[in-house]
This record gives sequence, structure tokens and C-alpha cells, in this order.
Amino acid sequence: MDILTFMQQMINGISLGSMYALIAIGYTLVYGVLRLINFAHGDIMMVGAFVAYLAHASGVPFGLAVILAIIVAMVTGILTDKIAYKPLRNAPKISLLITAIGISFFLENLFNVLFGGVPRAFSAPDYLTKIMHFQGIVIPMTVVIIPVVTLVLLFIMLWILNKTKYGMAIRSLAFDIPTVKLMGINADFIIMLVFAMGSGLAAIGGIFYAVSYPSIDPLMGVIVGLKAFAAAVLGGIGSVTGAVLGGFILGFTEIVVVAFMPELGGYKDAFAFVFLILVLLFKPTGIMGQDLERSRF
Amino acid sequence: MKKITTIVASAALIASISYAKEVKIGVVLPLTGPIAAFGQTSNGGLKIAYAQRHKLKNGDTIKLIVLDDRGDKVEAATATKRLIDKNHVTAILGEVASSNSMAMAPIAEKAKTPMITHASTNPRVTKGKKFVTRACFIDPFQGAIQANYAYDHGYKTAVIVTDAKQDYSVGVSKAFKKAYLKRGGKILGRVLINSGDKDFNAQVSTIKSKMPSIVAFTGYYPEGALMVRQARAMGVKAPFIGGDGVGFPELIKIGGKAAEGFMYSDHFNEAAATSPVAKAYVKAFHAKYHKPADSMGALAADGYNMILDAMNKCADPTDKICVNKNLRATKNFQGVTGVININKNGDAVKSGVVNVVKNGKFAYLTTVNP
Repeated sequence: MDILTFMQQMINGISLGSMYALIAIGYTLVYGVLRLINFAHGDIMMVGAFVAYLAHASGVPFGLAVILAIIVAMVTGILTDKIAYKPLRNAPKISLLITAIGISFFLENLFNVLFGGVPRAFSAPDYLTKIMHFQGIVIPMTVVIIPVVTLVLLFIMLWILNKTKYGMAIRSLAFDIPTVKLMGINADFIIMLVFAMGSGLAAIGGIFYAVSYPSIDPLMGVIVGLKAFAAAVLGGIGSVTGAVLGGFILGFTEIVVVAFMPELGGYKDAFAFVFLILVLLFKPTGIMGQDLERSRF
Repeated sequence: MKKITTIVASAALIASISYAKEVKIGVVLPLTGPIAAFGQTSNGGLKIAYAQRHKLKNGDTIKLIVLDDRGDKVEAATATKRLIDKNHVTAILGEVASSNSMAMAPIAEKAKTPMITHASTNPRVTKGKKFVTRACFIDPFQGAIQANYAYDHGYKTAVIVTDAKQDYSVGVSKAFKKAYLKRGGKILGRVLINSGDKDFNAQVSTIKSKMPSIVAFTGYYPEGALMVRQARAMGVKAPFIGGDGVGFPELIKIGGKAAEGFMYSDHFNEAAATSPVAKAYVKAFHAKYHKPADSMGALAADGYNMILDAMNKCADPTDKICVNKNLRATKNFQGVTGVININKNGDAVKSGVVNVVKNGKFAYLTTVNP
């Protein structure tokens, strides 16, 4: 492999990795607080992408469509929490997990019924889909934007969690919900906030995903959701920084398998997951995850 | 497990039944999911065919029971079982994707229920089966059409793209390679993808470094559209050639300008439709949908009419063994997609066409006879 192709493959790795990282942040946030693996995360992402698509297609400027999508996704997240998760707050975690899967199926099928299963072409403004050439290497605009967005969101998340009163409440919820309630904190409101944040992140992820790969359908969240989940686990589920790291590692693994072993390219997912298993064998909490049940974020 | 969506396509025929029997035909299609366009277009054609003809010679009425399998092998098998055990259908039409048809075939075979797949082209679908027939040509023919067309038009080096998850793609790839090498072409390499993937930059970078004169894309349209887009963005200039799995409007909608020049072998192009049957179908199609008639719909119509013809030759149209015998003996069937003869394997021997994306539309290039 010549150096040019190698460099190109590294760019491809950054592109895919940052995509996974962006979606994994939201995944890990909800888990960190509620210990709930929110399987509906990928589908909220799909909702975000669809709303942006529908709004943009009906003439709303792209920027506004994005904001609208984020708001709708947040509302969807809050509603799922209020309708599906809240009544189960004191139920065993497994019931919550199954409910999450139920929500996931519900959203997928609802959109299937409403919009049909045929993929649609997502159109984004030119400044997002531009392609730059540098010494024979092709760099799509998204490869520059997505890592920046991911890092900015990561820092905002860390800032909210560590420097604000709400962040403190969120972190304390992760320790012990009943005690937090005794301290006079409105736990339900804080949990709602977490869902709103997680869903907003999912929507942003969904929109960038649709910009990078401009084909959206109601089941688009399934595979990405799974990959983002794997990325979150790899990085240490519950750790926001770990999720970003996990996303990049997963993205690079997939690209490297296809680039260096093209005949095994069909098994790139298998490689990614074998890698995940190996990491978990030696470090069961993931790369950034900590052993202590109580230390998070 | 997710519930199967049931769509009963025949709500309007209740009025006419008084003493005539009702003969049920089950249909399994991917109406949702990643290859939903296959199912939707097939269903569209089926509706036209049903409107044109839904009564048998003896006065019995046909009832269609259409089930959605979401493009999933397991769901396809479940739907087939349900049609046979619960709905007691006489015959089954479906699926489109070869992998799904292969999941259905053993079930139909075991229950001795005639199954006709209108669009699954992998040879293994009918292999060793007595109750499985098809209305379309098979991959070795399709792969050879592509390979010969590419080589004869000056594209002498190729990279093959195979969707490792789809039996269809694996079959077409093999057929393309064989025919292309035989003609004198050179295969520079092969890259693998998975249906459902969206990022093909790694594969495209590999293709770029090999500098082929043509890319043989053997997968389906969702991946084809995104891959050709990423290939053009990466600066790959070589044209793409594919099979019947890419000939859907979504290829153009999602692929955009990048899809221009994408060639593919297909079953049908209305520009080449000359027989009265085909003309009547195309006319009805235009009147109902206001768009060009697609090949999946035309194949579904042919599959449906082949079943009806077979039923008409039986004293009791619900006699599955008799219907199957006549279905397998189909000769000189005048279909929308051309004249169909079923050979001893249950495969259709018929002509194919080559189309190309030109100015945002599918344009007809040539017809290839077997």
C-alpha cells in the first residue's frame, strides 16, 4: 500500500470514528446516570435525522431544521422517559432494559408506518458536503467538522457535569437516587434533563450521520446504535471521554480491517466485536471505565 | 420478535363471492426495511396484474395475502410458515432477495406448496427443489451479460465489489468473474461490503489505488448509491456496472449526480416492451402510478400470472401438486418481461436488458438473449 492510500485510510478512520464517538456520548450519558442502556438511542437519532430531513424538504432553512430536529428529539426523549421509564423507576433494571427495546421497536415501526421503509435522500447544504483535496488526499468537509463538533460537545458535557449545579445534581443522582431526593432535589426533573441532553446529542449525531451518508430510513439507527453502544462499552460505559475514545478505536479498527485485509472486509464487524471482547477480557470496565461502582464521568 | 404486518390487498372483492370458491395465493415481500424498494415495487406491479385478472377459468376468485418480512431471512421463513399453516394458501409468490427466498424454499418444499420467486436470481434458490420455480433469469446469465457488455465496450480491467451478506451478490460476483476472465478481461481485486453499511471510504480508497477501468458492483441499491457517491467524491472515475439489484429510483435519488453512467443488467425496460401483454401492463401502470414501469413490478406480475395459468390447467385449482406440476411445465409463457420457458431446474430461460443512468433517468441500452 502506498503512502497516499495509507493517509487516505487514516482520514477515513477519523471520519468513521468521530461519527461513532459523537453518537456514543449520548449513549453513555444516560447510562452513567440511570444505569439504563437506552437501546432507543439509535432510534432517537433516526427521529432527529428524519425531522431535519422533513423540515428541510418543506423549505425550512437547514440551520433552523437542525434546531427543530434537536427540539423534537429532546421532546421525544422526555416523553419516552415520562411514559415508559418513569413508572419503572423502582422496578428491576432488566424491566427497564426490555422497555427500552420496546421503545426502540415502537419508534422504528411508527416511522415505518408514517414514512415507509424506502430510503430517502438527505440533502445538506453545500458547505457541509464540500470535498477538499490536499496533495492527492481527499478530505470531505465532514471529516473536519464532525471531530470538532464531537470535541466541543464533549467539553460542554464535561463542563455541565463538573462545573454546574445541575451537573452536580446529575452526578449525585448517579450515586443514589433516594438520598438525592431527601436532599430536596427534584430527581425527576434532573432525570428529564439527562434524557433531554442525551436525545439532543442523538439528534446532532443523527443529522451529521445523514450528512455524511445521505440516505435515511426508519431502521438507520439500528446498526449505528449498536456500534455506538459497542464504542461506549469499549471506552468504559458511563465515561463520556471513554465513549469518544471508544468511538475512534472502533472506527479505526473497521477501516484498518478493510484496508489491510480486503478479502476479510466482509467480516469487519466481527473484527470490531472480537476486539471489544478482547479489551473487556483484560479490562472488564472498558478502557476509561473505573472499577469503583461509584466513580463516574 | 416483531409482529408481522399483514396487508390484505384484496378488500374490494368481497361483493362478487357467492358460490364461486376463493383460491388463496400468499405473497412474501420486503415491504419495509433496507430493501423495501424491492417489495414496494413488486407489490405495485402485483396490484396491476391483480386488477387486470383475478378470476380463474372456472369462476373462482383469487385472494392475495401479502405479508411483509422487513427484508429479514427469519421473518421471511416465519411468514411462509404462517401462509401455509394458518392461511392454507395454494401457492406462494416471493421473495425478492435470494437469501430470503432461500430461507423460504425449504419450508414450501416440505409442505409441498408451489412457490414461485419472481426476482431471486441466485441459482441455489431452486437447486434440488421440486416445488420452487422462478420467473427471472439466474445469476450466471446476469453476470455474463455484465461481464461481456463491459469487456466489449472497452473496459478491460475490473475490481469486483461483493456484498458478503447477500447470496445474490456472491453469486453475481462469481458469475461476473468467470465470464470476464473467459472474455480476456483482468480482475484487479475484490473488495467486500456488508448490506446495511454506509461508510465505504475504506473500500473506495482500495479501489482507487488499483485504478480499474470499471467497477463491478454486485450488491443492492442502498449500498450502490452511497458507494458510487463516495467513489466519485474520492476521485474514482471508473464507471460502475451492476445487476438488477441496483435498478431503483433510489439509486438516482441518493446517488445524485454520482449515479450518472451507472450501468446494470435488468429484467425489463419499458422502452423494449413490444408484446401486447407488456404494452397493456405498461399502459395500466402509467395510468395508476404516473411513472415508468419498473422491472420488479413486471416480474411480480409475470410470477402471478404464471401461477394463475397453472391453476387454470387443473380441475381443482387448489390442488397444490397439480398446480406445481403445471407451473414447472410452463412453456412459451407470454409475460410482461418477455417469453418465459421453465427448464428442468425450475429456472426461467429468458432475455435480459442492459440499462444505464442517464440525465437522472434509467435509459435502455440493449437486449441480450439467452
